[in-house]
Amino acid sequence: MATLTASTQKTAPPGFLTHPAVRKLLALAIAAAILVPLAVTQWGGATWPSALTVDVSEPLGRASDWIIDNRDSHPLFLYFFGHVSNVVVLAVRAVYLALLAVGWAGVTAIGALVAWRVAGVRLALGTAVAFLACGLLGMWVPTMQTLALMVVAVLASVVVGALLGLAAGLSDRMDRVLRPVLDTMQVLPAFAYLLPVVLVFGIGVPAAVLATVVYAAPPMARLTSLGLRGADKEVLEAVESLGTTARQRLLTARVPLARKELLLGVNQTIMMALSMAVIASVIGAGGLGDRVYQALASVDVGAALAAGIPIVLLAVVLDRVTGAAGEQHDGEPGRSPLTWLYALGAAAAVAVAGRLAGFLDWPDGWEVNIAEPVNRAVDWMTAHLYSGVPVVGGTADWAAHFTSWVLNPLRDGLQWLPWWSVLLAVAALAWLIGTWRTALTAVLAMAAIGVLGVWTPSLDTLSQVLAAVAVTLVIGFATGIAAARSDRFERLLRPVLDVFQTMPQFVYLIPVVALFGVGRAPAVAAAVVYALPAVVRITTQGLRQVDPAALESARSLGATSGQQLRQVQLPLARPALLLAVNQGVVLVLAVVIIGGLVGGGALGYQVVFGLAQGDLASGLVAGAAIVCLGLMLDRVTQPTARRTRKGA
Amino acid sequence: MSTATSASTPPGTDEGTAPVFAVDGLWKVFGPKADRVPADPELAALSPAELRSRTGCTAAVADVSFDVRKGEVFVVMGLSGSGKSTLVRCLTRLIEPTAGSIAIDGEDVRAMDKSRLRELRRHRAAMVFQHFGLLPHRTVLDNVAYGLEVQGVGRAERRERAAAIVAKVGLEGLEQRRPGQLSGGQRQRVGLARALAVDPEVLLFDEPFSALDPLIRRDMQEEVVRLHREEGRTMVFITHDLQEALKLGDRIALMRDGRVVQLGTPEEIVGSPADDYVREFVRDVPREQVLTVRTAMRPASSADEAGTGPAIRPGATVSEAIEAVARAGSPARVMSDGRCLGVVDAESLLSVVAGTAAAATAADGADAAAGSRAAGAAPVPPRAAPAERREPPTPPPATSEEPA
Repeated sequence: MATLTASTQKTAPPGFLTHPAVRKLLALAIAAAILVPLAVTQWGGATWPSALTVDVSEPLGRASDWIIDNRDSHPLFLYFFGHVSNVVVLAVRAVYLALLAVGWAGVTAIGALVAWRVAGVRLALGTAVAFLACGLLGMWVPTMQTLALMVVAVLASVVVGALLGLAAGLSDRMDRVLRPVLDTMQVLPAFAYLLPVVLVFGIGVPAAVLATVVYAAPPMARLTSLGLRGADKEVLEAVESLGTTARQRLLTARVPLARKELLLGVNQTIMMALSMAVIASVIGAGGLGDRVYQALASVDVGAALAAGIPIVLLAVVLDRVTGAAGEQHDGEPGRSPLTWLYALGAAAAVAVAGRLAGFLDWPDGWEVNIAEPVNRAVDWMTAHLYSGVPVVGGTADWAAHFTSWVLNPLRDGLQWLPWWSVLLAVAALAWLIGTWRTALTAVLAMAAIGVLGVWTPSLDTLSQVLAAVAVTLVIGFATGIAAARSDRFERLLRPVLDVFQTMPQFVYLIPVVALFGVGRAPAVAAAVVYALPAVVRITTQGLRQVDPAALESARSLGATSGQQLRQVQLPLARPALLLAVNQGVVLVLAVVIIGGLVGGGALGYQVVFGLAQGDLASGLVAGAAIVCLGLMLDRVTQPTARRTRKGA
Repeated sequence: MSTATSASTPPGTDEGTAPVFAVDGLWKVFGPKADRVPADPELAALSPAELRSRTGCTAAVADVSFDVRKGEVFVVMGLSGSGKSTLVRCLTRLIEPTAGSIAIDGEDVRAMDKSRLRELRRHRAAMVFQHFGLLPHRTVLDNVAYGLEVQGVGRAERRERAAAIVAKVGLEGLEQRRPGQLSGGQRQRVGLARALAVDPEVLLFDEPFSALDPLIRRDMQEEVVRLHREEGRTMVFITHDLQEALKLGDRIALMRDGRVVQLGTPEEIVGSPADDYVREFVRDVPREQVLTVRTAMRPASSADEAGTGPAIRPGATVSEAIEAVARAGSPARVMSDGRCLGVVDAESLLSVVAGTAAAATAADGADAAAGSRAAGAAPVPPRAAPAERREPPTPPPATSEEPA
């Protein structure tokens, strides 16, 4: 955006023409001058011309009907999908029963001991407290259901991801094929994965597990490949110079050297899997996510919170423990297998003792019902804070104002714009920030949305995304700059960001519903809260990584701190800021789509509606539109260099 | 393998044996259709810039020929980008050469299949790297034993052998550390030990000490000199540091833009640079520490002069002679086997230091520098024992100054 305004100010013809941004715009203007009149005379009007849409819902509906009709008879299902489905169900069931058999005392003990061996005493205590809290909240069984599903999904994701990563890490051709696919998969909202899986497997645990695997395997594959490729070239050369075979090189050098990336991959896969396992409650995952989903459906904030807290605890514990495993230094002496043996023995002893003492199911008397007090508090808030608070207004008032002053004009404006001008704007932005390739992909993705016949709801979603991104960037950049300039502020901020970045998307819906009710504004608010930590963190890092020598020389010339920020730090941190924009857009989109569950409408609602009504065809069309929208938004904001996932 | 050449038998005295490495017309060209460059005499003669603009290729190593003799320290020296690191990697085909031939003990390296090449890398040539190339997840001992592990040597035996080598390079007590806990000099000792552990016929060094502090670098250089003196192992040493090259090298190949511009003993390089590039290169070298008294020698003018004065050996450096002459206050005699070869006086020694005797060896050095191919085949004097190995072919006395 900055280049756009800057370039229009330059008017001196020669210099003006040589500016790359101006040249790009000029080329685009010429193309537009030829194509637009043609398009307008052929297909006028603001919305996407119906002549250019292709009705895919009918063939999709037929395909879905065919699958449903043949699920029990066609050999493809009988001999492949059927087996996959059975194996998944059996595995989840087995893990679930094993967890219940070990009992709550045993599970807590095992969790704490593993955390202790891997990450130290503090995290072990934290793990124990987290498990006990899950029990106290009356969520032991759902927690174990979610955990069982997670165990199976994470194992499958890690295996699939590691194999793909190995292939991509060792073969350049595989890498060229896989990389764009994995990159694209990472920017797509979780919701987009649900429907294709449901189409094949129907609603249920297998679909939930497979959707989770598809969503969670890409980071493992990417990081495995990255680790294998990022190994110190000279070490590999030294290893080769000693006459190793290819297999020796892989096992003794490449894999151990990639240890850090591999463990980071496991960490990210676990976090993504948790996030998806919760969302997959929409397609029958059960467990904690399902409790949240049911509670949100009836706007029962208390019950949602009771299930949401275990999710957050689980997320934080899993992230910290697996993260700590990855941070162990190479220099540390390896932990002997003997201590592991002791730890396992102790855990087994606790489990057996718990079993003998009858501590298998969480005792009912120990449960604390927080749903009612929370709901009372929410009711009080509804009565006192929603509206009519003197001077500041109320939260519901804010939401209403935001909807009527920002979201509505934005949506109506976008929908009022002629369709070709939207395409043109997309092309211009994408080309200015990226290359003609990204611009072309973005325009094609946007056009595909029109062709699918979901132009209007997509623009509705887009308006929410734009509003949320604007708010996120304003708050995020301001906070990021403040954190970069004040060490104390950053120290205060860091633990908050750490926790916020580990929470699954779904959880963010609970507090916003409590505060703002349902509608589009809460969806936007959840998206802002979800995307903020990443934006703040990238901004802070970008500003802090500015070359200290450049900053020092500016200081030595007598620049004020404001001048340093404007003239040195911000320009030099431009790549980081663009990355923050890109990440912000991708993350916001993910939550805006999920916002369909709390009245966000548009594409997300169509997916949920399609699932609820068994109308997979229209849901699939909306899912495809989400994919296109995600692609478009990512490419429009994509600087030339690629980025890493949230939390990088 | 005859690597256990004991310290007592001077290496290189057995002139009949084949060179350890015989490199002939070696090319490594990076870029599209690299094969055509060495094959086409017209392209092969182009300068790097022309080659790049005509073909898009870069010749990292261009028509290089040399022999590495048994027991010598052969130094390849050049600035960064001169192709020296590529050259040493071509020797064991860590980088696949484009054209030319490489033979190790008469066996064609380029014709080797995969398993034979692995055999070469496992047993015959081991390399020490600039940034050490150690495995960070292994202890010092396991890093040193890694080469043996690759060969399939049993755990107990390889640990035992590795421990002995670790002691040899002065790392006792650090066996269980990880590379991350060592200093740069210690890490390179591990790298050196790893290469030594497989008892190779040739040690290849790729700028092993350029990442180290000056003092530690000197320590390590002395370590290499000591190892060479004790074991007499053949070494190919890559460096961009002229001092290091002069200190370690029995012979030096000076590279520029992928070609060898001069190949000779340190004294030949310093005393009779082949061209302006080499001359510029060696300009700041303290000549009196490299050149021997033969450069400054004149025939004894009288029997009296040939009979008195301090005696020095022909291999002594000019700076040693200066000290002797200054102490005695009279010209010194250059004695070999009780025979007086000539005398050096203060004036002749001074002219060497001042560089006015530079042209003295120019004619002699010319054939050594005529081209890398010629240089490889140039006759070289029989080698002396390492202790006094800096013995150049006797240069004719200097009289005229070279025209500018």
